Amino acid sequence: MPVAGVDIGSLTAKAVILDDGKMIGTSLLMTGHNSRLAGRGALDLALRDAGIEEGALERVVATGYGRLSIDFTDEQVTEITCHARGAHTTHPEAYTVIDLGGQDSKAIAVDDRGRVAEFVMNDKCAAGTGRFLEVMAAALEIDLDQLGGISLQSEAPASISSVCTVFAESEVVSRVAEGVSKVDIVAGIHQAIASRIYAMAVRIPIRERIIITGGVARNGGVVRALEKRFEATIIVPEMPQHMGALGAAIVARERCAG
Amino acid sequence: MGEALGRLMEFRDDPYAPARSWKERTGGTVIGYFCCYAPEEIIHAAGALPVRITGENRQILKSGAHLQSYCCSLARTGLDMALTGGLDFLDGTVFTHTCDTMMRLSDIWRLNAGFAFHGDVVIPVRLEGKAALDYLYSEVARFKEAVEGYLGPISEGALQESIELYNRNRELLRELYGMRRENPTMLPSDQALWLVASSSLMEKREHNELLEKAIQEIKAEGASAGEGKVPLFVVGSVMDQWEFLKMVEEVGATVVDDDLCTGYRYFDEAAPEDPDPVMSLTRRIADRASCPCKYRPSTQRAGYLVDRVAGSGARGVIFFQFKFCDPHAFDYPYLKDALDAEGIPSLLLEIEHGSVSAEQLRTRVEALLETIRG
Repeated sequence: MPVAGVDIGSLTAKAVILDDGKMIGTSLLMTGHNSRLAGRGALDLALRDAGIEEGALERVVATGYGRLSIDFTDEQVTEITCHARGAHTTHPEAYTVIDLGGQDSKAIAVDDRGRVAEFVMNDKCAAGTGRFLEVMAAALEIDLDQLGGISLQSEAPASISSVCTVFAESEVVSRVAEGVSKVDIVAGIHQAIASRIYAMAVRIPIRERIIITGGVARNGGVVRALEKRFEATIIVPEMPQHMGALGAAIVARERCAG
Repeated sequence: MGEALGRLMEFRDDPYAPARSWKERTGGTVIGYFCCYAPEEIIHAAGALPVRITGENRQILKSGAHLQSYCCSLARTGLDMALTGGLDFLDGTVFTHTCDTMMRLSDIWRLNAGFAFHGDVVIPVRLEGKAALDYLYSEVARFKEAVEGYLGPISEGALQESIELYNRNRELLRELYGMRRENPTMLPSDQALWLVASSSLMEKREHNELLEKAIQEIKAEGASAGEGKVPLFVVGSVMDQWEFLKMVEEVGATVVDDDLCTGYRYFDEAAPEDPDPVMSLTRRIADRASCPCKYRPSTQRAGYLVDRVAGSGARGVIFFQFKFCDPHAFDYPYLKDALDAEGIPSLLLEIEHGSVSAEQLRTRVEALLETIRG
């Protein structure tokens, strides 16, 4: 019987339906102001995508920031465990998960069985998160999805010393006033993020290979900057935003198996 | 909840209520202190009430002018309370020489807080050896003289009596911890740790009476629901984040034992019998479980921590640290390595008074529990 994982993040809600080890349905929508509705919507869309009824699901596990606000799941599991499980399932060669979500960032050390060995999370700070990139994209009047591509053209990334979202924004404005090109500023922002994430991540043992999950993984510029900082190639999974929901579905499957 | 436990619990949200009412009732002197190395018995024997200041969850109004934001929130919110009238029941304060921030806070406090009495006790960093003990003895004696200069002579008998009262309190708290180690479900950890913290906030004789009754009540009630909670051990300085502890209980864990200065370190070791009460106090300070600001070559904190965790039956450790707390941050890496070597999972939480994000902490604690449960 199929199982489902629902990941209600601060920015987006995702669902994955898993049957016989295959993703038969997925969904992604904006969380908005009501995480309960977003979770419901994500599950409904994924069910439609899979072409099955909710009654067909053996078990539903919720994860993410809004996991406690929904009432239609059998269990809630933290996104830390879920990202580890999801990443380990699709990429068993990965031992370090860097999850850059909408509101927080984390680094997770995963053991041979996909369990969390250790983790660190950022603290009340948006630096390195999707929110930070949104603010920077707005300040530079660039479409969020364009940031990655633009920064890859840079040959001389601008120096952005502060990684605090508020201070970095004013620093970006200063660079704009100095006439630094957008390309170099965006590359500088990505470097600053990479330094910040690196400083946090090295508090746990970094073991290759490294995999990146969460919405920020879609930004090739951040990935490149992280690779430079970590001096390693980083795996970008096919559906980085769905790793948490996939992990939740895998946890659901494990529970069913007893 | 029994009557005595209820009476102790009722002032948790207003921790200085007993000190205020004691002062109103008796017209006596109230002396605040920041650190549990302060020789409270001397203050008590002089007829005054020693009260521990632990900062509080508040937005800083005035202390920002005196302390940089890289000082811990204990110092910043504590000074802010003093500068905005929140500690108007105090007549004086005593500081003990522990970390840099507390040393500097003493001077800033003396010059700006405006209390009549100000005392300093310089506790040596190394707490073993004859030179250290001689020095510590002279400091405790000097503090006694300072208090006497302010409040009048303290008789040897009065000091011995205060020591007995404090030792009785320690014995009761030890009994409470023993009960919970046997069966953690007898009392939720937020209440157990409050029973220790409340001891530093009210008159000892009154606390002893209530605590003794509360322990009887807890015993009579027996174990409650909550079997199967994951036992955890907490390491840190001040624990006054009751919502955090309640959350830990909610997510299926309980703190069975700790190395906190508002917890186990507060009551560890009785002051030994000694014809000279100043020597008795000196020896307790030197012998009790030491904080990371102090050093005892014969007990390394890492080995000590591993033993304490094993003895408590805890399956995981939470380092509950205030941001910018140098001494605890300095010890953390080697304490964590020692726990790792024993296969004991741990979690570092850095918090500040007034901006604890319960939801982020909940996710981390749950993730630790998921790691423990496998």
